[in-house]
Amino acid sequence: MAQRKRLSGAQTSSQAKRPSGSQAAPEDEDDQTFTLPSSSQVLRGMESLAPGQLEQKTAEVVQYFLVKDQKKFAIRRADIVKHVLKEQRNIYPEVMRRAAATFQQVFGLKLVEIEQKNHLYILINSLEPSAAAPPSSSTNPKTGLLFVVLGLIFMKGGVARENVVWSTLKKLRIDPREKHEEFGDVRKLLTEEFVRQRYLEYIRIPHTDPVEFEFGWGQRAEYEVSKPRILSFMGELHQQDPQTWSQQYREAHSSSSSTPSPSPSQR
Amino acid sequence: MNRSRGEEEAPRQNGSAGRKKGEQQHSEDDEAVHHFDPADDMQDDDNDPSRRREIRSKYRDLISSVQQNREDMLNPTNNKLTEVLEEANKLFKDVRQAREAALDAQLLVVASDLGKEKASQMFSEGASFDPSAFAEHVLSFMGLNRLEVEEEEQQNGETAEGYLPPDAWHRLASRAQLCFRTAPSFHYMMGSFYAEPPPPKQRTERQRKAPTKEAQRIMPTQLKKMEESHQEATEKEVERILGYLKSYYQDDPTSDISYYEFVIDPKSFSRTVENIFHTSFLIRDGLARLYLDADKLPCIVPLEGEENEAGGSAACNQCIISISPKTWRELIDAFEITDTMIQPPNAPTE
Repeated sequence: MAQRKRLSGAQTSSQAKRPSGSQAAPEDEDDQTFTLPSSSQVLRGMESLAPGQLEQKTAEVVQYFLVKDQKKFAIRRADIVKHVLKEQRNIYPEVMRRAAATFQQVFGLKLVEIEQKNHLYILINSLEPSAAAPPSSSTNPKTGLLFVVLGLIFMKGGVARENVVWSTLKKLRIDPREKHEEFGDVRKLLTEEFVRQRYLEYIRIPHTDPVEFEFGWGQRAEYEVSKPRILSFMGELHQQDPQTWSQQYREAHSSSSSTPSPSPSQR
Repeated sequence: MNRSRGEEEAPRQNGSAGRKKGEQQHSEDDEAVHHFDPADDMQDDDNDPSRRREIRSKYRDLISSVQQNREDMLNPTNNKLTEVLEEANKLFKDVRQAREAALDAQLLVVASDLGKEKASQMFSEGASFDPSAFAEHVLSFMGLNRLEVEEEEQQNGETAEGYLPPDAWHRLASRAQLCFRTAPSFHYMMGSFYAEPPPPKQRTERQRKAPTKEAQRIMPTQLKKMEESHQEATEKEVERILGYLKSYYQDDPTSDISYYEFVIDPKSFSRTVENIFHTSFLIRDGLARLYLDADKLPCIVPLEGEENEAGGSAACNQCIISISPKTWRELIDAFEITDTMIQPPNAPTE
């Protein structure tokens, strides 16, 4: 109890300093924090904290995520610890829990761990996109390109050979050998940037001579891109009922329900 | 994934194949070695190097034909893959040595890869998804104008058909983003901080500094002079005209000075326009006043001291004078102007 008092007192002081993060946390946040002690280590870490430090670190993590997310590369846990938490790494789970809550409550974003092994995080919009919503100030043309590639992969049953992707793009006036006026070096964009952003996977097909690659959906795409919506846009384009692609329809509607609900990391 | 493991092991398994373990060690060596191979219950035929070579070469041919005719073999309308497998079966009857067996395994890898591709084709065939049809639909959505063929073809060669508007990808993106739950990226409103450093700016500055140092020393004086002379030209001209106006007024303060007679230079239209321009400064600065005489013709008179102040607060009228070469000539005729009241400035000075 004494701890709680100290922390809630600290919160107000940190609010003054850093409005961006801790302002968000509602009053009952503190209660939850202490009814769910995740491990004794975390507790010990929290006890040793100076007043307001937890909020301070949470705010820093939130800011770190926002800035890092500008490039849409996945964010590594190791980097968060190294650049933000530093010697306070033992309170990591609690800070992440709070940061996730802040993203949810203030920004309407979901903090998702896309890879358990390397602890990679991304932010996705927790609001469903809708045509009625005012269009965001700038549409990124790369979204169109991503749709073409992801849609193609999806319709091809999850993987698409590289040559299928390039020949389709070629019909759309994209030649990987030439600089595209909208996208620049498209080969690099697809095989490097989109891969680093985890929209795509670019995998070597074993035992092919000459070497061949195929594209698949990356982890980010699995969370961020809605298969049912892709399929319905496909139907719109082809003027065809999406259900006629029975296989894809089943896939889209089974996986959308089973998409792992993004849970802020507990560990 | 299974395939990959299979292939790595395949040569070994097939090579030894239980029956010819002894050969394994020598299989990579020269043909001649086999003559001394003790562990064989083979017929003479099996040791015939030319026969072995023939089998291997047939296998290699088969493998390369599969690799080269891949697209053909994928075509569901023919049975080429089956033919290849049958051919391989025939060859396998004569396989005795590890090297041939390894080739057989390699063929199997290639064939199973084809099989996988065929299976995935079956998947998409069930739902009939054609990437090229998809591309066409996307093009239509992006607003492709299929009529403007020739122009584009000349520029882009064979591939282009029709004109794709420059906002094509934006158009697609604005619809496609409904499929994405992308978090809007965060940017500082006032742009106080950019993640990217601005190196080009600094570089150009540094480069520029060195060569222009000397030039800069001279430049300011030069520039100043030019600006001054230019501004002074206008100011001087205005003052000069005021001088003329005052002198004409002092010559005969009772008679009106006709505005048009004053500004028009019958020899030069451009001089006339210049005079009008400069005279307008006199009016604006309250150094002269325009009024209409009994005949409703504009007249001009210079103002002095107190008059000028009183007039400044009272009269804030603006008027626009337009003049064309035609009206200029008409005015010269009407006022019977023979000589200019304002001498061109350079005439006496230069």
